[in-house]
Parts: sequence; C-alpha cells; structure tokens
Amino acid sequence: MPGIDECLLEAMRLPGARGASVVDWTSGLALGTVGDSPNGDHEATAAEAAELARMTAEHRAFAPAGGADWSAGEPPVEDVIVTSRDGYHVLRFVRTTFDSSVFLHLWLDREQGNLALSRIRLGEMADRLVLG
Amino acid sequence: MTTTAAARAEGRTTTPAGVSPMLRRLAEERATGALLRDRGTLYLADGQVVHAESPATPGIDVLLTTGGALHPDRWWEAVDAAGTRQRVGRYLVESGRLTDGALELCHLGALYDAAFFALAPSGAPARFRYGAAHWFGTVHPVSVASVEAETLRRRELLHGIWPDAAADTAPLEQGGGHSPAVPPRQRAVLALVDGARTAADISHVLGRPAFHTLVDLRRLAAAGLVRAAVPRPLPPPTAPAWAGAASTDPDVALLRRLRDALEAL
Repeated sequence: MPGIDECLLEAMRLPGARGASVVDWTSGLALGTVGDSPNGDHEATAAEAAELARMTAEHRAFAPAGGADWSAGEPPVEDVIVTSRDGYHVLRFVRTTFDSSVFLHLWLDREQGNLALSRIRLGEMADRLVLG
Repeated sequence: MTTTAAARAEGRTTTPAGVSPMLRRLAEERATGALLRDRGTLYLADGQVVHAESPATPGIDVLLTTGGALHPDRWWEAVDAAGTRQRVGRYLVESGRLTDGALELCHLGALYDAAFFALAPSGAPARFRYGAAHWFGTVHPVSVASVEAETLRRRELLHGIWPDAAADTAPLEQGGGHSPAVPPRQRAVLALVDGARTAADISHVLGRPAFHTLVDLRRLAAAGLVRAAVPRPLPPPTAPAWAGAASTDPDVALLRRLRDALEAL
C-alpha cells in the first residue's frame, strides 16, 4: 500500500516525467512534491494548479450530465489536461472516502511524454493511493 | 529525491516573519513535547511538527469517520489497541483499515489545518510541556518553517477572497441574496448556515477541515449569501418613509458589504 512519496516516485517513472506533486485545491497546499516544477517553485506551481483544478471542479460547465453532487467523494471531473509547446500537464482528481479536495499533478516533457498512457497510469495511481 | 512541504521550506533563504517566536526556538533546540496555545496545540518531535489539534476544527477521528472512510467502531478499536503505545495511525494501516496514502493525505491535511487555527494571533501566553506526545502517533513530520509559512499563506489567501473575518468565528446566517451558481461544496456549507452554527460547527457536521469551510464561507460572504448573525435590536425604531424606499434598492446591501470589507482592511 503506497504512501504519498511512493506514489509520486512511481509517477516519475513514466516516460518524460519532469515533476509530480499531490496538491490540495482548496488551500493550494502541496502535500508532497518530487522532481522539478515548471517555474522552479513547487509551492507557487501548486497554488496555480490548484486554482485551475478548483475552476474545473466547481463550474457547472464541466460537470457530468447527472450533476456534480460529490456523492461518495466522487469529484465531478476526472482529469484536467493542459498542453503547451514543450510540455504536458495532467491533473488527476483523487477520490477519497473522507472529505478532501486533492489532485495529483504530473508534468511531462512534450517530446518524451506519452499523454494517453500517462493519463491512464496516473488514474490508477490515484486510486491505489487511497484505496490500496 | 522526494521532498515534502516540510523539507522545501527549510531551503528558503528568507524566512517569513515568525508566527510564533517560541515555536521557532523549540524547533531550533529540536524539542519534543506539546505547545499549548490559546486556540490549539502543536505536538513536536525532535523539533518537527507531528500533530496539531484545535477546537476550531474537527479532529482526525471526525474527518475519518464522517465520510465513511472508517466506521466509528473501528476507530475506537484502534484507539484501544494502540493508543497507549501512541501508534493509532500505524495501527489503522497495519490492520488494513486505511492505506498509507489515505492516512497521510488525511493526517497532513488535518495537521496544517489545525496548525492554522492553533497559530492564530493571540495575546494569551503559550506553554510547552516537554516530553508530551500525542496518542495518534507520528505519520509524516513537517518542519516548523513549513507550518509557519503555510499558516501565513493561508491568512493571505482568506484575506484575498474577502477581507472581513467576522464570519470566521461567529454564528452565521444566510444573507438573503440568491445565486443559482453556488458550487456543490459551497452549497453543502450554505445549507448548514442556520443562524446558530459557526464555521467550526459546520466543519464538524461535514467532517471537513475548518480552513476549507472558511475559504467557502469567505466566498459566500463576498457574494452576500452569508454573514455573521447579529443579535436583533430590540425595538425597531420608526424610520422615515424614504428610508424604507431606499433599503429596497439592491445596491444598498452591496454598499454595506463593501463598507464592512473596507473597514476590515
């Protein structure tokens, strides 16, 4: 059963991974970080990524048709993907059995990263982190 | 290779203005024990923060049992089995009730949350009980510098959303405004605002760290949907006719909120 550090180190083994973190999107706190961060400051990156995550989790435009009622700790959004000229960012919301607002943030190199694979693996890691 | 919020803050060249000089000193001497402050307690081991609690926010027992992560019976079983050895957290993992990840996420969140309230500015003297340890046990120690930096950042975050702190501790009432676009997690908070409950009460009902509730309450206050309940004045004075007409102007409520906010700056 992995803890936060093991989960992040596993994410870093994905091809092209440059940095990873676990972030609380209500407060913007990074609960754990590994590798590099895009602006050289994991805390600032966490706070900025948290804003993006919060927007998608709260706005109705992105909620599934059944509504966003957070039943059973299920966030309305699964992931947020940002692509840039030189990188990919995958934010994966973590489903927990206690009240929380946590996501995994993986930063990938555009040349070496595989967005589809990383998205699937990050989802599996998010589930294993909390559910074992 | 892996760093946590704890390790990161230690690399800072400029440390923020201290939240608590006493706490900083205890960190330097690598003290072990409990720092008892007006609004909460921080537990240190070798100068690092290992646990925090405050009456202003739910404890980890409430956080874990309210959402169904843990049945209350399982919680008490763990306290009975491992409380005297100060290994309740480890016991929950070793007995298969929680994963390491779930325990760390919940406990770290609760630690920073309670520390925010415990480190609130206070004129009352703090005490340190050397050697005291919390029965929950150590999960993931974080540095004092990290806890202080995060506490300051959180104060700024709240201030940036809505500068008036009146709704943080007072009984709350709904502001009468209406907004169809209140997000689900804020709606859960709003639904519990009944004229009597405080932010801490609402957090206990939801099993949610109280800082999270404050963030939502400040947003709701900014939107005019929540305010600190004021005791009703006894005899309403007779107002001239024009005052009644003026108060129906929707801008008045907004101007009042703006004035309150400016005064709080």
